[in-house]
Amino acid sequence: MRGADYIVKRIVFALLTVFVAITINFALFRLAPGSAVTNLARVPHATPETRLAIKRQFGLDKSKWQQYWIYLGQLFRGNLGVSFANSQPVSSNLRTALINTLPMVLIGTVFAIVLGTLTGVIAAWRRGTKTEGASVTTALAFYSMPTHWLGLMLVILFAGVLPTGGMSNEFLLNPSFSTHVKDLAEHIALPSLTLGLVLYGEYTLIVRSAMLETLGEDYILTARAKGFRAGAILRRHALRNAMLPIATLIALSLGYIVAGAILVETVFSWPGIGRAVYDAVLQRDYPMLQGAFLLLTVSVVFFNLVADLLYFKLDPRITT
Amino acid sequence: MSLLTAEDLNVWFDLDGGRELHAVQGVGFSLEPGERLGLVGESGCGKTTTVLGLLGLLPPSASISGRVLLNGVDIVAGGEETMRPHRWVDLAIVFQGAMNALNPVKTVGSQIVEVLELHERARGRDARARTGELLESVGIPANRAERFPHEFSGGMRQRAAIAMALACSPSILIADEPTTALDVMVQAQILELLDSLCRDFGLALLLVTHDLPVVAELCDRAAVMYAGEIVEHGPMDALYHEPRHPYTRLLFAATPDLHGEGVPASIPGTPPRLDQPLVGCPFHTRCDRAFARCTEERPVLKELGDDRSAACHLNDVVAEVV
Amino acid sequence: MSVVLQEPAALDDAVPVRSRRGIVWETVKRRPSALVGAGLLALVIVGAVLAPVLAPYDLHEQVGPVFGRPSWSHPLGLDDGGIDMVTLLMWGARISLVVGFAATFVSMVIGGAIGVTAGYFGGKVDTILMRITDYFLVIPDVPLMIIVAAIWGPSLFHIVIVIGILLWTSTARVIRAQVKSVRERVYVKRARSLGASHMRVVLRHVLPQVAPLLIANTVLTIAVAIFDETALAFLGLSDPSRISLGKMIENAFQRAAISTGAWWAIVPPGVLVAVIILACSLLGGAIEDALNPRLRVAHLSARTFRLRPLVGRGPEAL
Repeated sequence: MRGADYIVKRIVFALLTVFVAITINFALFRLAPGSAVTNLARVPHATPETRLAIKRQFGLDKSKWQQYWIYLGQLFRGNLGVSFANSQPVSSNLRTALINTLPMVLIGTVFAIVLGTLTGVIAAWRRGTKTEGASVTTALAFYSMPTHWLGLMLVILFAGVLPTGGMSNEFLLNPSFSTHVKDLAEHIALPSLTLGLVLYGEYTLIVRSAMLETLGEDYILTARAKGFRAGAILRRHALRNAMLPIATLIALSLGYIVAGAILVETVFSWPGIGRAVYDAVLQRDYPMLQGAFLLLTVSVVFFNLVADLLYFKLDPRITT
Repeated sequence: MSLLTAEDLNVWFDLDGGRELHAVQGVGFSLEPGERLGLVGESGCGKTTTVLGLLGLLPPSASISGRVLLNGVDIVAGGEETMRPHRWVDLAIVFQGAMNALNPVKTVGSQIVEVLELHERARGRDARARTGELLESVGIPANRAERFPHEFSGGMRQRAAIAMALACSPSILIADEPTTALDVMVQAQILELLDSLCRDFGLALLLVTHDLPVVAELCDRAAVMYAGEIVEHGPMDALYHEPRHPYTRLLFAATPDLHGEGVPASIPGTPPRLDQPLVGCPFHTRCDRAFARCTEERPVLKELGDDRSAACHLNDVVAEVV
Repeated sequence: MSVVLQEPAALDDAVPVRSRRGIVWETVKRRPSALVGAGLLALVIVGAVLAPVLAPYDLHEQVGPVFGRPSWSHPLGLDDGGIDMVTLLMWGARISLVVGFAATFVSMVIGGAIGVTAGYFGGKVDTILMRITDYFLVIPDVPLMIIVAAIWGPSLFHIVIVIGILLWTSTARVIRAQVKSVRERVYVKRARSLGASHMRVVLRHVLPQVAPLLIANTVLTIAVAIFDETALAFLGLSDPSRISLGKMIENAFQRAAISTGAWWAIVPPGVLVAVIILACSLLGGAIEDALNPRLRVAHLSARTFRLRPLVGRGPEAL
């Protein structure tokens, strides 16, 4: 397989980065001054026996180095600690939150990619015309709007028409399947639209840039000289080549969507990962914070790796 | 009726602030079947723009006027729509630096196959077979068709580009700086290849280059371009032994001779700006024979007999040797 | 938005560009997008700087009811404390801009230093510094900002440091690539061979070449810094004693401005933030484009070349 060693190298690098992130995570939370932070055994409403058990489990009575070692072991076994807020394991809290966030982020991202690619290609194609100016200005405008503020604008606009809080209507008793689906869809509409609009702005600019650069390449001139029509050249050569930077940049940006998700989820009270981070900060729920932060860092590393591998797969020029 | 005739070809490019660059000024020449014409001049003199104009491969910032007669039919008149049908099937072009002229993420073979299929010379398996044949005819093993451009050496890429150009059996081959950026040994091979292919297939060749030895080797006739216009035109020998324009003379003198006779002289000064109207002869500031008339009146390309023409006032002065 | 938007080639260590003296000024004068961006930015800055003088009312003076409606004397209405919105906007812009500029300064200093060092010295130094940069790049910035701000405590100073510490990575990469290319230039090599010290070479030869790109990057970073500030403020992590534009949005949100229909408490501050970010993006983007030799001719476009009637200045022969 071409470049198997390249792939292995990238994966190893990714794992290394995760390891560094884990270490930083540990340092940040365990070594930071303030007993509130280091005292992870301070789970509210816990009995003294539980506290002692937790203390032993996390080795909080041992030296820092030993704590680090225990921490790594815990992680390996999937034990991220217990949340202060609801006394549940952090890992199951995170799992629920992740399941809630994913559909919303997915819909928003797909919307942004589709719309962004469309407008980006059109803007590059119609370079120097009013259409391009309008597309770019609109994209820039949405890109410049603070995510949470855009969410609030949508709330103002759609108040009364679409629900603006939560994931579903808790007052529906035994809803039928279709009612339930409709309810979910209504609730997911605004948050994913907010995320989608902000991302679409960024993607339009990326796609336009990539297309413009591709359209300036010599092989496009060759294709024209061969007698192809414009549409065929776009399909066969331009898009195919522009996909390279576009796909990788989009994959990279996925790692950072979390920032947008935090803001959107706060505005719409969406019980996802972003909201979990926010709540954890408010409630000083350090185990949750630590776990969430680790999860987010790993996701960024993961998407970076995906972007790397995508680039490698799409560009035959890279051989090592 | 010639195979290809360009008449009064002009190309302008839009510049910032509403100004224009008059890149090609009243260029005309003709090409007979099997004939080889060289288009020579310094970088930036407009030769590449001229040939791009022939095929209508100009950017949106360009305007074109003039006539391009292909077998007597003007193809410029209808713009893109009348020019496109002739691309590749009548006039094929090999660009310089085939590195980027070939799409780096597609196999070399696929790029030849697509031309065959576009112009309906072959489909599918036949197209692939034909591609193999074409590659072999330029000295590339057929199985290399599966490879990507970056896996080819510079010389091989150029050969592949030539094979690609011949795919639809055009009657005219345009080569734009085909040997620039190749090392000397490879240059010789490419020139030899062009020579034999043109001979075997009876192709007319329009060779664009700044490299005089290349033109001398391949072409029967040459047109010398300066500042967007043709300043002299005639058979290669005549141009070399008996130039009728100072620029031609200086160009040949500036070419280093491998046999080491004489010191190559470079031409002092720079070409004029083409975004402003010119007064007098465009070359007069760098010419060693300029006189009063040269600063006031722009010379016109005049026929001098023996299939030669030049744009220089000196030719009007009887018995004056340029 | 936590990524400073750069050209696609930023993917593989940004292609170095040629810089000319005064190109920043030239760009601003010539390109309409840069002009608009610079103009808007200047407007906002002037308004913010002159807030003490220009603001129609006192910042802490309650001049009407909570969420008072817009009127002739208060074109943008009143906020949740009965304070005039226009006044708040001017003072808020002040704080937001201060945070934005300060954080950008921090990130420029760090990023610039690292970029220049890595690019100039190359080799092991370069590799180590770039590894560190890579690790920083991977940390999701908003969550980290949240956590550090939460642990450290909300104050303007902390916010500035936190934002600055996370934004330097893109600057470092871009500067490093540029420095690398400048280092190879003839006059730099000559200066070195004539015995100039590293410091001298960097200051006199490298930095001037790098400056325009640095400026473009700075402007773009300001946009991100201001965004980050609004995000942090919205999540309740900014200094409660200072009113920034982000804080205004957060206040309105917390005090149920939407359900009481007081859109004037939410819309204007967001619009102003968007305007600032837009202005920075336009200006920074225009400078970047001007420095970039690669966006040249489009071989393919919806428009085609144009035909003109025959000119007739051709040769008499042939």
